[in-house]
Amino acid sequence: MKNRPLFLLGLFLAVLTSWAGFVLGSHGQLGSLTPFFDEADGQSHPARLPGLAARGQLVYADLGCAACHTQQVRRPGFGNDQARGWGERQSVARDYIFHAQPQLGASRLGPDLMNLAGRKPQAPSADDLHRLLYTGSAAHPAFPFLYETREIAGESSRHAVRLTGAAAPKAGSEVVATERAQTLVAYLLNVNSGFEYPEARPLPAKSPASPEAKK
Amino acid sequence: MSASQRPDPGPGRSPLSDDALQAGHEQIIGKQPDEKGQYRLLPLNLLFLFSGLIFLGGTYLGRFSGHFSPKVYNEYGQPPKAGAVAAVAVDPLVLGKNVYAQVCAACHQPTGLGLPPAFPPLAGSEWVSGSEERLIRIVLHGLQGPIKVKGVEYVGAMPAAGPGSGYNLSPEKVAAVLTYIRKEWGGIETPTAAAKVAEVRGKEGNRQPWTAAELEKIP
Amino acid sequence: MSHPPTQAPAAEVSPFDAPARWPLALLAGSALVWLVLSSLLALVTAIQLHTPSFLADCSALTHGRAQALRETAFLYGWAGNAGVGLGLWILGRLGGHPLRALNWAVVGTVFWNLGLLAGMVGIATGSMTGFAGLQIPRAVQPVLVAAFCAMALPGVLAWAGRKREGTYAAQWYAAAALFLLPWFWTATQAVLLWSPLRGVVQTVAASWHTQSLVSLWLMPLALAAAYYIVPKQTGKLLPGYESAPLAFWTLIVCGGWSFGRHLIGGPVPAWIPTMAVVAQCLLLFHFLVVALNFRQVFAGGSLTLQYLRFGLVAYLLTGLLETITSFRGVGVHTQFTLLVPAMEQLTLQGALSMFLFGGLVYQFPRIIGRDWTLPTFVSGHGSLYMLGVVISVLSLGWAGLAQDALLNHSQTPFAEILAQLKMPLLLHTAGQFALLAGNVLLLVAFLRSAAASCCREEGAAALRPASSAS
Repeated sequence: MKNRPLFLLGLFLAVLTSWAGFVLGSHGQLGSLTPFFDEADGQSHPARLPGLAARGQLVYADLGCAACHTQQVRRPGFGNDQARGWGERQSVARDYIFHAQPQLGASRLGPDLMNLAGRKPQAPSADDLHRLLYTGSAAHPAFPFLYETREIAGESSRHAVRLTGAAAPKAGSEVVATERAQTLVAYLLNVNSGFEYPEARPLPAKSPASPEAKK
Repeated sequence: MSASQRPDPGPGRSPLSDDALQAGHEQIIGKQPDEKGQYRLLPLNLLFLFSGLIFLGGTYLGRFSGHFSPKVYNEYGQPPKAGAVAAVAVDPLVLGKNVYAQVCAACHQPTGLGLPPAFPPLAGSEWVSGSEERLIRIVLHGLQGPIKVKGVEYVGAMPAAGPGSGYNLSPEKVAAVLTYIRKEWGGIETPTAAAKVAEVRGKEGNRQPWTAAELEKIP
Repeated sequence: MSHPPTQAPAAEVSPFDAPARWPLALLAGSALVWLVLSSLLALVTAIQLHTPSFLADCSALTHGRAQALRETAFLYGWAGNAGVGLGLWILGRLGGHPLRALNWAVVGTVFWNLGLLAGMVGIATGSMTGFAGLQIPRAVQPVLVAAFCAMALPGVLAWAGRKREGTYAAQWYAAAALFLLPWFWTATQAVLLWSPLRGVVQTVAASWHTQSLVSLWLMPLALAAAYYIVPKQTGKLLPGYESAPLAFWTLIVCGGWSFGRHLIGGPVPAWIPTMAVVAQCLLLFHFLVVALNFRQVFAGGSLTLQYLRFGLVAYLLTGLLETITSFRGVGVHTQFTLLVPAMEQLTLQGALSMFLFGGLVYQFPRIIGRDWTLPTFVSGHGSLYMLGVVISVLSLGWAGLAQDALLNHSQTPFAEILAQLKMPLLLHTAGQFALLAGNVLLLVAFLRSAAASCCREEGAAALRPASSAS
């Protein structure tokens, strides 16, 4: 530790190596990924998020939805994401190239949302999502601040949430999704990873049947 | 207040001054010789352990890093070979169906039944189950004049769809659409090869649409 | 009750402490205020875990935002302020000169805390960035980096202008932490906030940053405190110290690599999680040497040493558990479950905070020149906090194990999973409550001591020359 500049230089180089290796390295590898053009259906995958959905991703981020929901499906045989119907294949870097702020998340207090729009047999509708967000459920908090209750003036709004039972507003008023709720739902209905990229395919069968069994 | 209650021995109790702390540890670390005038080195067992950890780490890295490839997501995988990049096999039936839907279905209908009396059917047509050579030519260059299909005579003009035409389908797409049509409505499982389409195209070049009479001469 | 500074021998009360008294007390005080705030928010998030509707209709405290607020208050508010205060103090004492440029540190501290406050308001009102560990709104982040540079300036000056040529481990760790944060934080901001990278590369950069924040900034500051205080308290040189430099460099070089352990099975190429396994294996050496160096804490009895002992055990346990769970065969079970926050609590509340508490409890009486006015409150904090950490970590771990069984091996609906986890999550809330209570005690003890010291400022000033002369 005698040479003062040498110590600081060592620190700098140690962290620079780590930063360059991981951040710049993966940027070099993944930063210029292009969409995959599929000859068979003549389309590029993934598709760009529509404007409303792209704004919805920012709402998703600032509400902190990622604290309970992931958006990354693990490969078959690694966890049971497939059995839960979250996606047929694992998520790969190419899925996120058009996401302004990928929301991978790290906790599954709620279900994964990577392929919400591509759920089998049936994806939730916009109405389902609005109802969940407005009234909540046993496992999901309600976010009434994303909606406003107001008197119906003339025709009812096309963004009114169809509610029944206790949550329904009193006669003559309606619960209307604010712009934030609309963009959020538009986003959720646009996250899907139906297309199978070559790099997302499972390994050929000759690899060990349960690759995670022993390491 | 008893000593046991106090958070620590109190400001007055530290037996080691800052100077003694630094000097003592500098001696341990070997910056200064000890009483015997010898410098101390890292204990051999710790050094051995450290090298062992580096070796283990290196081995693990070699085995499970997928050669640092951005395409390997499964740690047991290997990066794809350089030539195997285009190994994304396109199913000619899927491609053919798409092309049919875009190009052909407007007249021949998605069902392949055509729209009599203007557009002849493909389903069950003897032309579809017949010569591949003729079908390739029809799709490449089009067809005009009277033609008899399933005993009914149609008069119409089918535009060319091959390379250089308005539809500009590549030989692969022509082959795919023919594979699809022949399997779907002619019951023929053998796929049409893109090479064959390219060969016919090379032989005939750009030409006027065929007539049924001209096609009859081709095997 | 009080111990006038004149009673202390010169070996202990350093003449360099008096001029740095109020700047360092400001750092310690703001750290404790943030600590209480963060444990309050931790209580809210703990309740939300078993009762999702709790405060959910308040848009500022959705679970995601409350988590972000808690994390920000804890990392930047509590650990940042406390760590920097300890780092400056240690660098000053071991540098052999009074700290210079302390007014820079005061200005920096004020801006750091105001910036954090603005950042917290920003998070609560919807300007959160969405990167874990880096949620502070982007307009505030450059201010924080600048404020940090001002705060760290006296420390870097003390390092550069030190009297002795040779250096001690506490100085390496403290200097490294103060030197490294501004540059790697700036680099992260550049690639995430100002010219964002594409797709998952953002996640890689953000996770790298979060890991570095703990491994290269906060943990080194906490270790600096431990390296300084353990020999001072036991009066003995550290055993096995000859390996300390290698252990230090192992942490600095590999510390940032291990973020990939959270990204297994996901959309990141295999080499990134694999590097994390390698890093964790190499870090075992660091943990081993730290254990060897600090083994004397198991003999000591003072509260400071009790904090450090708890911190050391938690630190070693953290190292071991993180290494084990970085292997994919184990990680597939812990990933996405509450076992991850359980381990995080062990690292942050168990290891990091305990080292910092040990440091603060030792440092504060010395900088104000008098013993704690309410020693029972301080030892009460110690007991409550240790109890709280044990309860929280164990109950979250229990919940995490149950969650793994339900989430990864069955198709139980989420409402059902939540119902089954209710018991451990209630226990976790109780643990968080103990942490909050303990932290309030410490804040009260701090304020009383500071107030008492203020009142006697004149008297102490009269005595100070005698103490520096001896």
